[in-house]
Amino acid sequence: MIPYDHVLGLSVLLFTIGVIGALTRRNLIVILMCLELMLNAVNLAFVGFNRMWAGSVSGPETPVALDGQVFALMVITVAASEVAVGLAILISLVRNRDSINVEDASLLRW
Amino acid sequence: MDAHGFNWHVLMPVAAVAVGSLAVLVLEVLLSRRTGELTPPARAASERRLALLLAFIASFSLLIALVASYVLLLAGVDTAFDPQNAMLRIDGLSGMAIGIVSMGALLSVWLSSTYLMALHINHGEYYALLLLAVTGMFIALCAENLMLLFMGVELMSIPAYALAAFDRSKLRSNEAGLKYFLLGSFASAIFLYGIALLYGATGRLDYAGLQRTIDPSSTLAMAGLALLLVGFAFKLALVPFHQYVPDVYEGAPTPVTAFISVCVKTTAVFVLLRLLLQALPDLAGLLRPIFWLLAVASIVVGNLMAIVQRNVKRMLAYSSIAHAGYLMLALVSETPEAYGAMIFYLLAYVFMNLGAFGVVIALAARGRDCERIEDFAGIASRRPGLAAVMTLFMLALAGMPGTVGFWAKFHLFESALEADEVALVIVAILGSVVSFYYYLRVPVEMYMRDASEEEPTHASTNELAVLLACAGVVLYLGFFPNARLPGHAAGLLDVLRATVGM
Repeated sequence: MIPYDHVLGLSVLLFTIGVIGALTRRNLIVILMCLELMLNAVNLAFVGFNRMWAGSVSGPETPVALDGQVFALMVITVAASEVAVGLAILISLVRNRDSINVEDASLLRW
Repeated sequence: MDAHGFNWHVLMPVAAVAVGSLAVLVLEVLLSRRTGELTPPARAASERRLALLLAFIASFSLLIALVASYVLLLAGVDTAFDPQNAMLRIDGLSGMAIGIVSMGALLSVWLSSTYLMALHINHGEYYALLLLAVTGMFIALCAENLMLLFMGVELMSIPAYALAAFDRSKLRSNEAGLKYFLLGSFASAIFLYGIALLYGATGRLDYAGLQRTIDPSSTLAMAGLALLLVGFAFKLALVPFHQYVPDVYEGAPTPVTAFISVCVKTTAVFVLLRLLLQALPDLAGLLRPIFWLLAVASIVVGNLMAIVQRNVKRMLAYSSIAHAGYLMLALVSETPEAYGAMIFYLLAYVFMNLGAFGVVIALAARGRDCERIEDFAGIASRRPGLAAVMTLFMLALAGMPGTVGFWAKFHLFESALEADEVALVIVAILGSVVSFYYYLRVPVEMYMRDASEEEPTHASTNELAVLLACAGVVLYLGFFPNARLPGHAAGLLDVLRATVGM
């Protein structure tokens, strides 16, 4: 059985990679992928934590809450709709300006 | 009543807007199919009729939500769905919040229709997206569980990204939508990781369970809480998480800016308030310094940056950051009076801010926004009525006595003083004094500069109705801040305080 520290460690690692990527990369598609990576790190944490809490509940009559598992399913759905809207915005930007570099979106400045 | 003892009628506001948004989507598809065979003028007229019908449906469902929330408030409903797993709670706080949000959304819809037609982005999806966002807001406002809260916040945010990019042939709108989307989903992911860590530390997602099990000495729980607060600070547009706000406010179509600035902020404040009251009351001492810093930073940065802006929409964006900072005063002082004053501030903000954006919308001519400060030169001679109400809204936002803005600030600062937050109140008062400078620049421009050579435009009836309603409320509450609510024995302020007194 995999220790929970490892699950959490992997999740933190994936999340950090996602954050660094989203903040430093300039290609919009890559930024979208990094956002997805962050959400998937969250899913991993939820599923891992759910297993941890379910394992700690003793006795056969105690209901095992599936909150974490269900939450992961919800996050997958939300991530899909978020990307759908994100790509739609991206396409309308590309139609007007032939570039997917985030630095080219610099019309609005203080 | 069903087996859980839950009265389904209390979900009326949520049901009304959800059904409304789906009805708008379906009707748009069904009714717009036949227009292809018509001649161009007939087609334009038919599209116009369709848009008005959809706007009517949208405002009708928002009106139902508004009336239903008021009825719930009067009846003093306090009911939770499936109390064991605690998902949804409809009580005075959510009733009040739903009322304020649906009022803001209703006024935004009325401000939208003419503007959208002028810009030729008069698609039915606009109203469907707006109502979907409102549905998400209502769900988040009633949520008593972090899972439902997250779903509500996302259902609010995702349509809002699309709305910001709604004028899709314009680069500015694309860019606003893109920035809103990127930073918003980044913030959502951080918010979500906070929820995951809190779940790992406590094993609970419901507020009551969190309150019982959260342990201030656990690193995991505190890391989760910190991430959660970062997510909230993004949605509330607090410094230092505010960078996207000016760009989004400037680039998005103006009615969308009005909607986002009023409704999203109100929702975020109420959701944070419920979380603090129900899930984290034991951590108040820990959170107070954080809110203190956020408040000071937002007030200082928001007001100082607003001074240098030459674009009115952008100036209002920075001023909304400052207003979010003032609202944080209540979370620092943590008394029922302060929370009541905060809700009153939000209510006042709906009318002041929507009024100000409403004037910007009403002045928009031929698809070009009247948003640069120079565009306001000499408006007073061409459109004296609009200039007068704009002056009123600017004075109200600055906090001039005789307007609702004064009482909003007065009660907030007074309750913070009672909680011995003297330094914070001094910063807030200095910020308000500075804000007079940039708010009054607009009236100065309107009354004291010569008019540019442009033919006058005509505001539509619905825009004028919104502006008159906002101006009326700003003045009425400015003279009678504790006005008696219709059908209610107590005054407005007392009701607000009692709502949060729980």
